[in-house]
Amino acid sequence: MSVHGTPRTAPSTPPASASGPGRVLVLVYGLLAVAAGARSAVQILRDLHEAPLAYVLSGVAAAVYVLATVALALDGPRWRPVAWVAVVIELVGVLAVGAISLQVPELFPRATVWSGFGQGYGYVPLVLPVLGILWLRRTSRGGPGGPR
Amino acid sequence: MRSGRILEPVWTPLVVLVGAVCLALAAWAGWRAVRDEPVILKQLLLGGVAEALLVVQLVVAGVLAATGRGPADVPTFWGYLVTTLLVLPFAAAWAFAERTRWSSVVLLLAAATVAFLQYRTLQVWVGP
Repeated sequence: MSVHGTPRTAPSTPPASASGPGRVLVLVYGLLAVAAGARSAVQILRDLHEAPLAYVLSGVAAAVYVLATVALALDGPRWRPVAWVAVVIELVGVLAVGAISLQVPELFPRATVWSGFGQGYGYVPLVLPVLGILWLRRTSRGGPGGPR
Repeated sequence: MRSGRILEPVWTPLVVLVGAVCLALAAWAGWRAVRDEPVILKQLLLGGVAEALLVVQLVVAGVLAATGRGPADVPTFWGYLVTTLLVLPFAAAWAFAERTRWSSVVLLLAAATVAFLQYRTLQVWVGP
C-alpha cells in the first residue's frame, strides 16, 4: 500500500526486511549470531593455540552474523547495503570454508561455524544467507515499505 | 582433566521439565502459525513459567558448582544457561512488535531453541 500524501498510519511498522517472514529471518540470524559468538569467544579465550586459523575465522563469522542481524532488523538506506554485504560474505564464507575444510582438513583441525558447509549447526549457516539474499531481493522490489 | 564427570541426578528432571514446557509452547505456537494466528498473552504466560523454571535451574546449578559438583565444560554450560534465560524474553518482545502469523513462527523457533539448549546442558555436564 502506498503512503503517498498520507501520514504513516502505523509509525511503529517494522522496516521492510524485518517484517512478515523477515521477523523469523532476523530471529534465526540473532540465534546463530549468539550461538557462534558465544562459542567462538570461549574458543578464542581458552583454546586459541589449538587451531588459531579456525577459531579466528569463527570469530569473524560470528561478527558478520551480528552485523547481518542488526542490519536486517533496522533496514533503511544505510543498513540495507550493510545487510547485503553481510549476507554475501556469509554465503561466500560458508561455501569457501566448507569446500576447503573437506579438501584440506589439516588447515582446520577444529571445526568452525562454516566447516563442512555449516554441518555442526544443522546447515543453518548454508541455508540462511541464501534465504537472506532472496529476502533482500524480494523486499527491494517495490513492495510495501520497499526501497527508499 | 575434568571430563567424564557424573551428571547430578537432580539435573535431568529439571531439564525434562523445562524441555516439556518449551516443547508444549512450541507446539502451541506452531498450531497457531498454521492457523494464521499471532502470539497471544496466554502463550507468554506459559513462557513465563519456563523462565521461572530456568531461574530455579540457575540457582541449582550455582549451588552444585559452588559445592564442587558442577558441570565439566564450565564456560559452555553457563553460556547455555544464560542464553536460554534470554532467548524467550527477546523473542517474545520481537514477536509482539508485529502480531501476524510470523510472530507465532518466531515463538515456535525460540521455544524449540531453548528445548535444544536444555538437551545440550546434559551433554556438556559430563564432558566438553
